[in-house]
Amino acid sequence: MGVLITPSMIGQVVISGLLAGSLYAMVALGLGLIFGVMRVLNVAHGPLLMMGAYTTFWLFQWIGFNPYLSLLVSMPLLFLVGVALQRFLVRRVVDAPELSSLLLTFGVSIALVNLAQLAFTSDLRAVEYLTGSFVVGPFALSKPRLATCGFAIAITLGAFVFLRSTRLGKAIRAVSQSREVAQVCGIDVQRIHLITFGLGSALAAAGGSLVAVMVAIQPEMGQVYTFKSFLVIVLGGAGNYPGALLGGLLLGLVEQLASLFLTSQVNEAVAYVLLVVVLLIRPTGLLKGRV
Amino acid sequence: MKRWFPAALLVLAVGLALYPLQATGYGVRVMLQLFMWIALAQSWNLISGLTGYVSFGHVVFFGTGAYASSILIVTLGWAWPLACLGGGVVAAVLAFLIGWPCLRLKGPYFAIATLGLNEVMRVVASYYEGLTGGGNGLSLPTLHASVEIYYAMGLVAAAVTAVTYVIVTSRFGLRLMTIREDEVAAEAMGIDTLRYKLYAFLLSAAAPGIVGGLSARDQGYIEPLSVFPLIMTITMIVMALFGGKGTIWGPVLGAALLFAFQEVVWARFIYLHQLLFGAIIVGVVLLMPRGILGVLQQKYNLPRTI
Amino acid sequence: MTMTSWKRLAPVALAGVVFASVPLPAAAQTPIKIGASMSVTGTYAKPGTYQKQGYDVCIDELNAKGGLLGRKVELVIYDDQSTPATAVRLYEKLITEDKVDAVMGPYSSAVSEAVANVTEKYKKVMVAPLAATTSIFKKGRKYIFMVITPAENYLDGLIDMAAKRGLKTVAIINEDTLFPKASASGTAEAAKKKGMQVVLQEAYPKGNTDFSALLVKIKAANPDVIAAGTYFDDAVAITRQMKELNVNPKMFGLTVGGDLPEFYDLLKQNAEYVYGSTQWDESLPYPGQKEFLAAYKAKFKGQEPSYHTAAGYAGCLIYAEAVKKAGTLDADKVRDQLLKMEIRTAFGDYKIEPDGFQIAHKMVMLQWQDGKRIVVWPDDLSNGKPRYPTPEWSKR
Repeated sequence: MGVLITPSMIGQVVISGLLAGSLYAMVALGLGLIFGVMRVLNVAHGPLLMMGAYTTFWLFQWIGFNPYLSLLVSMPLLFLVGVALQRFLVRRVVDAPELSSLLLTFGVSIALVNLAQLAFTSDLRAVEYLTGSFVVGPFALSKPRLATCGFAIAITLGAFVFLRSTRLGKAIRAVSQSREVAQVCGIDVQRIHLITFGLGSALAAAGGSLVAVMVAIQPEMGQVYTFKSFLVIVLGGAGNYPGALLGGLLLGLVEQLASLFLTSQVNEAVAYVLLVVVLLIRPTGLLKGRV
Repeated sequence: MKRWFPAALLVLAVGLALYPLQATGYGVRVMLQLFMWIALAQSWNLISGLTGYVSFGHVVFFGTGAYASSILIVTLGWAWPLACLGGGVVAAVLAFLIGWPCLRLKGPYFAIATLGLNEVMRVVASYYEGLTGGGNGLSLPTLHASVEIYYAMGLVAAAVTAVTYVIVTSRFGLRLMTIREDEVAAEAMGIDTLRYKLYAFLLSAAAPGIVGGLSARDQGYIEPLSVFPLIMTITMIVMALFGGKGTIWGPVLGAALLFAFQEVVWARFIYLHQLLFGAIIVGVVLLMPRGILGVLQQKYNLPRTI
Repeated sequence: MTMTSWKRLAPVALAGVVFASVPLPAAAQTPIKIGASMSVTGTYAKPGTYQKQGYDVCIDELNAKGGLLGRKVELVIYDDQSTPATAVRLYEKLITEDKVDAVMGPYSSAVSEAVANVTEKYKKVMVAPLAATTSIFKKGRKYIFMVITPAENYLDGLIDMAAKRGLKTVAIINEDTLFPKASASGTAEAAKKKGMQVVLQEAYPKGNTDFSALLVKIKAANPDVIAAGTYFDDAVAITRQMKELNVNPKMFGLTVGGDLPEFYDLLKQNAEYVYGSTQWDESLPYPGQKEFLAAYKAKFKGQEPSYHTAAGYAGCLIYAEAVKKAGTLDADKVRDQLLKMEIRTAFGDYKIEPDGFQIAHKMVMLQWQDGKRIVVWPDDLSNGKPRYPTPEWSKR
């Protein structure tokens, strides 16, 4: 019962993969920022994404708020949540062995998921806003995926510009390179930590708001994004921000191609094998990060 | 102080050994689950508590053991005690396959690598349906052996605790803890960190494998969703953390306390289960990183090896 | 307390915790206790709760009519959190500690399968209203009884309608878990029996959200019919992505998910023409429907019963019927009655094979038309005609 795979099928799947990958990249960038600056692996990244998705959902449900405009709400909101998490919890383990921050954020993540279950129930929600696709030749470009990709790329590029060109952005990069030296240069490291965690959370929330239009929203939806974000960071190189973009796109591609040539069943296993392979062959990632 | 402890242990052991004679089927099942959790928490402790390499996917060894031993029973007709040991061996082999590449990395990367592991194995189990029955699950021939499994689980729990005791008081254990405290220094001292980490990892996988097999035999039916759940890893971690990771009796204490808590309190607050666990983890990390036993150790000047 | 006495206390306390789990013997009771574990929380919380509602309505009805064998009936329910392992423990508890007189089945095939080992061990009759997979009943068990149509037959109606219209090719996809797999394999067999060709059959992992690769393959295979063994979120995702990728079968049918009102709530117009299958619908002309609906609506205001409720209700009634006929609660005598019985309830027909397998109950296929679910198959139970063929996405 095999189906002959034609170039146009591959093309279609490549498009889907790239569109999905841009989202992975943006969400992973958030994780990468937090890791680069604080050496904290934020296992709660997925739940933060989930909260962004719910924000979009409830705004849409209550006042019919445009899901894409809701980015303007979910991002600042989760920025504040991230700052609060950092200020009250994460700050205490930034200097502890990495094990502690791992466990802490792990605990936070399961607490957040349960809170969501209590507040929103596990019922599946969805935002029915944009459906259908543009047909370009033999390819169908899904409208929601295109929109997601567009916003994700815009936000990611915005983040890069921020990091490159603004004083705050440069301060963040300075701290991620060397905290001590940055401190000597007069940078308020504590403030940078707060802002970075907030930024990372905001990026996760953006991811959530964007996928809200496409997937079922439920409290545990973030888990898979946590893992994929880690994977992208490793692929692209930890602490290497453009690497996150590359890693995200690569992951999206690999997933779709594997589903096409093998079966959909092996989706997750493929991502995992990719992780192990990269960790073995080139642990610093494709674009040289810091291990 | 140390003199009455072995005596008390003996009394406890005898009590537990006699328990099935006057308990209901339900009571036996509950206790064997407690033994299972002790074995699991203790095993997690072996790798994560002693070496500092946090394993977020430890349930994968439980599930693998469950499938391996069930397949041995169903397709090769092995007797369940042998099949469960086989499950433990297969789990250890899996630990080797995963550990050999992944333990070369620094701690956090290892943790990430283990994060998605249970999902992957779930997919693998679903995929090879010829062997595992895939989504249909695997049914074992009907056998009513709860009491025998009770003893088997108890033995495994006791064995893992004993092994932990031996390790903690040995040079091997010392080396592991050195790796935990300062891996770079350990390497500089000439310790082959990869080898020791690997040993610890293999050891930490064997018991969950056996226990997975026993649990599968007791239930009589397994499917990918029910033997690779994330909540099991979470529970193992909370139990070991709460009791005191890196200690010998910490995981036992943590498992017993949290299990009792679950059965009694949580049954009434089902919706808060995970929230409480999350809160406990956060609380332990921030306030008592060495768990309850760690607090007691400090307060009452208890020996290191407890 | 001094340090030494504290330490002395610790192992004793531990032993205390251990021995505290020794249960007290249950007190004798006059009302008949029927026990079950339900998925009140966890993955199956929604359907599990619906099923429990069915049990509740049935018990109320029995008690209103004078009880069973002249005794009042009481329901003892525990939450198994949708996990087989927990359910197994709970049934042990119900049988050995609470000493219930009878048990009813839990929700889902996976949990029922695990629990069946316990009920067989203690030789307790268990009517399992929501166990749908054939394999549970083919293991030589004697005390388990099926009520609903098996998973394998869920899409029989779709295939039947397709074959009648001369359609030749079908693609089958399913979530890779127990129930959808069974329905997929059953559908494949049914298709082959009707001389149709299965051009693609593939499973996807639970939780999969991106079906592009799968749908791309399906589109290339260009089947007349797409049959999907789904639950709910995958059903929604697949339908949406079919529109995005412009996949246009002449008929598209789902197992679970397609029949829920939420399906239309989420997809709105895009849910039109989709075929769903259900074990039961309010509109079906079965005896006792009106009474059941009235009782349900009175007890659960503002809610609509789902088929899980109806199945639970029927299962409990069928058990009660068998007990009445046997005149006793004795497991073997009740079992004999259950094996012999042929009855039509508000849920549909009941008749079983010697191994407990259900052979009389029929699935019905419905189709979303103008925001309503219309029963379109089988003809003798339908209340509308199917809208065929499904028009292309671009033409809607």
